[in-house]
Amino acid sequence: MWNAIFSRLPEWVEPVAEYVLQTGLKNTLIIASTSVVLALVVGVVLGTLLTVRFLPVQAAIRLYIEVWRGLPIIVTIFLLYFALPTLADELHFQALSLDTMRAAILGLALWGSAQIAEATRGAVQSIPKEQHEAAAALGFGWVGRHVNVILPQALRRLLPPLVGLSVGVIQNSTLAAIIGVPEVLETAQRSTNRLAVPTVDPATLTIEGGDSHALEIYLGVFVLFFLISFPLTRLAAFLERRLVQ
Amino acid sequence: MNVLASFDWSYIWEHREVLFEGLKVTLKLAAIGIAGAFAVGLLLGAARAYRIPVISQLAAIYVELIRGTPILVQIFLIAYGLPRASKALQFDFFTVACVALILWGGAFNTENFRAGFEAVPSRYREAAYALGFGPFRTFLNISLPIGGRIALPSSINTYISVFKNTALMTAISVEELTNVARQSIDLDFRTWEMISVLAVTYLTLVWTMSALIRVLERRLALPEEA
Repeated sequence: MWNAIFSRLPEWVEPVAEYVLQTGLKNTLIIASTSVVLALVVGVVLGTLLTVRFLPVQAAIRLYIEVWRGLPIIVTIFLLYFALPTLADELHFQALSLDTMRAAILGLALWGSAQIAEATRGAVQSIPKEQHEAAAALGFGWVGRHVNVILPQALRRLLPPLVGLSVGVIQNSTLAAIIGVPEVLETAQRSTNRLAVPTVDPATLTIEGGDSHALEIYLGVFVLFFLISFPLTRLAAFLERRLVQ
Repeated sequence: MNVLASFDWSYIWEHREVLFEGLKVTLKLAAIGIAGAFAVGLLLGAARAYRIPVISQLAAIYVELIRGTPILVQIFLIAYGLPRASKALQFDFFTVACVALILWGGAFNTENFRAGFEAVPSRYREAAYALGFGPFRTFLNISLPIGGRIALPSSINTYISVFKNTALMTAISVEELTNVARQSIDLDFRTWEMISVLAVTYLTLVWTMSALIRVLERRLALPEEA
């Protein structure tokens, strides 16, 4: 089927589509899924701890949330990619020297975890205090109470914002293009740059190409992201509505 | 901690002028983006809320398209894609940045204002009609002040995002703050100094704007209905 489609399209389309979908989309999905998982784990833990009435912990988590939510994500990514490696040299701790892919993942995860932490706090606080009391009466400690009773109920309320965040992370994963990770947008840009260079056909010695096809390629990327985001935002809205009922 | 010890305050001081120029471009982009997003949001939000035929449907499609795609893709499409369609659509990158910010913020603001206008109880408008107000004056004197207040917190959130999105214009080499900082990092490798300037500047402005939301929310809150 694909061959039938590609044979009708101009010659330049197939290699571009192959590069953007096989390399670019793969990396976009790796970046997005890894950062969503990291953000979920860190965010749920921080958000739950934020409901503990202990000022130093609350202040520290508040600061974490406000910093990573307040900075433009690209500045966070620059911090991780440009500044952190200098620290790695001085501390002789090379794990801090992140490659472009890891810097992008971590930058998105920091931003996402701040959003999830805030949402988790709200979700945990929305659970009636009788649930805490009942769990305590059954002999659960703080950890057991939260893991077995409170969080399972709170996570249900967390589902719509989590789906919404996934859309945000997928869209913002394009920022990785700015530091050169070959995700969808970067592979698209490289394709336009490659096509813009004219080539000489050795057989006929005629100049070919030299057209970037930027409009078609970026429109394709636009449509691709829309096809991913639209169903997910619909899903988030559906989950939200089901929760209200 | 050597990084802290070697932190060169004078480097920042020596670069205060370029950094300030960058900040001015950032603020200019933000001001244009926010003003445009306000205008677009107000008009299309009203068209959506009052179901003005054709415009309402087109606005809905516009909102979905913008919200469903990354802003960086929109920027690239406007900067590199549109000029391929027609020479008339070739703009300098500062203009591209403004257009992208307005389109993006406008889409989010359309939803903010739509929700705000729809939250105005219809009996208020009915009362205005009963007093002999026409549709336009009803909008101007009833729906706008009340709905606009309801929409204010969420629309300021959108303006904060518009401000943060100006940093993305570094990708199309507009000389805004983030780009200025990155260029000097490329030259002198005083990484921490420049990243600190960025972080402090953005956080100060973003936190000020969020504090503003809280103040406005309290001061502009509608009196509780009995």
